[in-house]
Amino acid sequence: MPPYPRMPSPRPWSTSFWNETTETMPRAQLDRLHLARVQALLHFAYESSAFYRRKFDAAGVRPDDVRSLDDLKTKVPITDKSEFIGLQQGKPPYGDTLTLPMELIAHHAETSGTTGVPLSIPYSMADTVRYGESWCYGFWALGIRPVDTFYFAFGWGNFAGFWSAYWGARRMGCRVVSGGGLDTKGHVQAILRTKPTVLISTPTFALRIAAVANEMGVDIAQSSIKFTYHAGEPGPTALPGMREQIERAWGAKAGELLGIAEVDAMAPGCPIGDGVHVNEMNLHSWSMDPETGKEVSPGVIGENVVTGYANTAQPLINYRTHDLVRRVEGCACGRSWAKLEGSVLGRTDFMVTVRGTNVYQSAVENILAEVPGISMHYELVLTRAGENDVMTVRFEPEPSIGGDAQAVQKVAAEAGERIHRALHVRLECVPVPCSTLPRYELKTKRMIDQRPKEFRRALDR
Amino acid sequence: MTREEQIAAIRRARAEVGRVIAGCASPQIETIARSADMELHWALWNLGEPVSLRAEMDEAAPQSR
Repeated sequence: MPPYPRMPSPRPWSTSFWNETTETMPRAQLDRLHLARVQALLHFAYESSAFYRRKFDAAGVRPDDVRSLDDLKTKVPITDKSEFIGLQQGKPPYGDTLTLPMELIAHHAETSGTTGVPLSIPYSMADTVRYGESWCYGFWALGIRPVDTFYFAFGWGNFAGFWSAYWGARRMGCRVVSGGGLDTKGHVQAILRTKPTVLISTPTFALRIAAVANEMGVDIAQSSIKFTYHAGEPGPTALPGMREQIERAWGAKAGELLGIAEVDAMAPGCPIGDGVHVNEMNLHSWSMDPETGKEVSPGVIGENVVTGYANTAQPLINYRTHDLVRRVEGCACGRSWAKLEGSVLGRTDFMVTVRGTNVYQSAVENILAEVPGISMHYELVLTRAGENDVMTVRFEPEPSIGGDAQAVQKVAAEAGERIHRALHVRLECVPVPCSTLPRYELKTKRMIDQRPKEFRRALDR
Repeated sequence: MTREEQIAAIRRARAEVGRVIAGCASPQIETIARSADMELHWALWNLGEPVSLRAEMDEAAPQSR
């Protein structure tokens, strides 16, 4: 007999759901819950936040006016990131948007600032638990279990995304290894030394680590990593070419989650790999025509508008995400939570008009990811010529063909041709030498906007 | 255990934890009890129960973090 009782091991769960009850809940039941939760949130925000009281009063709407989810979509005013940033700049750090007293704020985070000025995000302790929980759905669906060990290739700054992944890994009871303070070679060495089974990073940084490992003579595909999980920029769900590259480089299964720092890790990846499921325990969302403000039908591309229950310190109600999504109901994986096919298909605010054609950044990225010979290191340079926006693709070829000028030119021509076929616009595709474009640990800056200020988005000026 | 039995048990546990919070003289034990209540509230939320937005809204005691 051992001198002490045996410590319980994690149970060998056979379910593919983190919470089957809610992940497969029928639509009518989900919507009843949403309505009750939305009504509670509206009352809480109206009574606790000066910003929301002002906003609702100006729109002539009271929380009691919302008696259906349609009322939420048609009566409650839309909110936008720029409002919050404006209020925060006027009265740092959070403006008058808080619903809780400052002493109840347990964690401060910021958006990455990809679209301009970073947004400050307060969370209460309960909010961090809820936010972390969102990651667990995706981790579990991919096959990650409490016996796994996470490696965070992340600098632990104020960027909300991977803090919440950490909260999720802790929630699942996994071992956590921090990669904070290390350079890329340090990450490779730490992975070999500590033997994690899950890598958390942006998708492009996962490829960067793999490339550096290769330069060090390390076959990272033979390492202990079994899963890679990503957020922060279009990854393996949005870009199938990216999935192939990551899974080949790491010899691992790649997953992705759609997160919006100020909202939630809102949509964990579907195990089928072709989309993400909105976490309907943490938020309500619908798709809006960005021009008319009206709801679009299921299957039609629209802007994702969210109302979050996870962040109660600075709630976001009918919040424009500027993400263009195709929302469908039902999925072969069994989840009833709304599915966003292909994750984010484009951005309403990353659209430029080139020779009369609307061109979305993500649309170009989707095409480039499929062109053989183009690496994941590329940028889209916006300039202005006369009355027109001009977009130029600058890309690094795959190292295997980097020394063959003829092959590289052929790849450039192929990329230009595919873009023309799909988007009906001709973009110049210019190869640059391997390893010359900047590398990023967090979000990769793809769009280099060199247009005069008056032609840029408000937040980018 | 059925979902309904789980919900009933969690509600009973919250009531007991609430008694600890109300009669607590130690900041440490009160913090732990509030954390327990927050998690139990979250369990009800994720069982699809129409509970309040935050745990402390269900009681008269001061707010927790």
